[in-house]
Amino acid sequence: MISSIRSESLPIRGQGRVLSNVVDRNGRKLRLAVPDWPGSIPGQFVMVGTGATASVPRHDPLLPRPMAVYRDLGATPECRDSERAFELLYRVVGRGTTLLSEAQPGESVSIVGPLGEGFPVEESDAPALLVGGGTGIASLYELARALAATGRSTRVLLGARAEADLIGFDDFAALASEGVELICATEDGSVGVEGRITLPLEAALTESGPGALVVAVGPTPMMRACADMAGAKGVDCLVSLENPMACGFGVCLGCAAPRAEGGFSLVCKAGPVFDAREIAWEGLP
Amino acid sequence: MSSDQDGVLRTSVATNGTNASTTKCTATVDERVEFAGIPLRNAVLTASGTFGYGTEFAPFLDLEKIGGFVAKSLTLEPRFGNPPPRIGETPSGMLNAISIENVGVRAFLEEKLPALPEGVVVIASAFGTAPEIYAELASQVSGHPRISGIEINASCPHVKSGGIEFGQDPKLLAELVATVRKATTGSLLVKLSPNVTRIADMAKVCEAEGADGISMINAVQAMEVDVETRRPILSNILGGLSGPAIRPIALRMVWQAAQAVKIPICGVGGISSAEDAVKFMLCGASAIQVGTANYLDPGVAGRIAEGLANYAARHGFARVADLTGALETG
Repeated sequence: MISSIRSESLPIRGQGRVLSNVVDRNGRKLRLAVPDWPGSIPGQFVMVGTGATASVPRHDPLLPRPMAVYRDLGATPECRDSERAFELLYRVVGRGTTLLSEAQPGESVSIVGPLGEGFPVEESDAPALLVGGGTGIASLYELARALAATGRSTRVLLGARAEADLIGFDDFAALASEGVELICATEDGSVGVEGRITLPLEAALTESGPGALVVAVGPTPMMRACADMAGAKGVDCLVSLENPMACGFGVCLGCAAPRAEGGFSLVCKAGPVFDAREIAWEGLP
Repeated sequence: MSSDQDGVLRTSVATNGTNASTTKCTATVDERVEFAGIPLRNAVLTASGTFGYGTEFAPFLDLEKIGGFVAKSLTLEPRFGNPPPRIGETPSGMLNAISIENVGVRAFLEEKLPALPEGVVVIASAFGTAPEIYAELASQVSGHPRISGIEINASCPHVKSGGIEFGQDPKLLAELVATVRKATTGSLLVKLSPNVTRIADMAKVCEAEGADGISMINAVQAMEVDVETRRPILSNILGGLSGPAIRPIALRMVWQAAQAVKIPICGVGGISSAEDAVKFMLCGASAIQVGTANYLDPGVAGRIAEGLANYAARHGFARVADLTGALETG
């Protein structure tokens, strides 16, 4: 089993100043400047309020939403004083994300984070294959950079139904300058390989041998397919789970994921990063 | 604003009521309350099941700035809860069916309690399937020097056996409270279920059987359906509704119980602000617990405590405790 990594920094609760909140293909990218943001390690997440913080408390929708830290930017020129900036990648799927999409630059969005355990980043001669689908790709951006920075061969494989669903594509493509290779697959063949992302994954695994690492983040069926494929070739596979949660820091116990050995692990505390073999996939909703 | 070690808060008050920067006079408010024999720094506790074992909140909140907390309900042995999905969102509310997942009483006493700062008031919560099990838990925890009281969870709305059965039947509740009362001389609280016809009758049972106080209410039994999948949103089908959606129900029940008993009441149910806390105290609560709001803002309990003192100062109350039962109904 591969262990996830605990960050040294304690989470904070704060208000993120919206720097931008823009359309990115069929998703959106929200850039926040948060005072005293301690920085995150790849794979960590934040709990985000549903929409701009109102002058009068609003209770509906009630719960914050967990979202992976996408690009952790540090002190950008837009930051004031102790502010540090990071981005979130999301799709508008319900009332909470609709309200979030309406947050304007200059307004505030409440955040708690960074939370959870992140991906281990280890040097290796064998390649790292990072497979992303949907907004799950947000977890992979900083991981790809960190792995490539160790000198490890790092390939990102993004899958979507169509080109318009490849949110974050331009950001990942720009990582070529840092040595990250990008492969895409679309089910309609509009860009990259035609078919599911498991097609190019299979090819990459065949080529790379047993020392490789697969990281899969996205819809549960995609992660499970990648984990099965890696497992069949004797390759380690890490996943990041996206169970609903109310708190994000181990208290509500809402995000429990069934463990292969029995019982449950909290996605927010023990994860969201898990060795795929730890998870009882058939028990995930 | 500063808070002394003796718990007396000195706060500046704007007499025009709105512009806090225009300080016109200074009032001194005594924040301390005594609840069911437990002296508290202030009236704000946090509710069982929403505050873990306390240490989870250390990054967000000075645990010594709140009155104390009620820890996650304990069982004699460690216990896993329900399969996912365990939680869901409803209008201004949250539905959950966790099912008393906890580390067990031994790990609580040996690992969780010692990890807490010395000055934190801890109330343990007990859950079982028979009165004797609750009594055993009470005797195991109540001798511990770090435990200020024990709260009987007689109201978990989504465990198939135990909990709510006691909270819904006056005879079973009487037997439960009487049995636990024999097992502990410490402060004994009973957390009541709202899923009853006459809450005042249940409160009277607690009082008659020797409880020192009542916490009310636990979550309201509820369900929700996903029309796309045509399935209940929870694996357990039924769950407990919490959050602002239930606050007026909780307020009504606290008021009714306060009319019926003399033992103190701790108001629980959807409290998210100091104003909410004031409402419960006006309706007869001697202290309050913050629950689901801890998830939204893990520092909220501390600010509710500050806001409660500010309210008392603004309205000329010398002590926060004087708010209890100060509802004007004439």
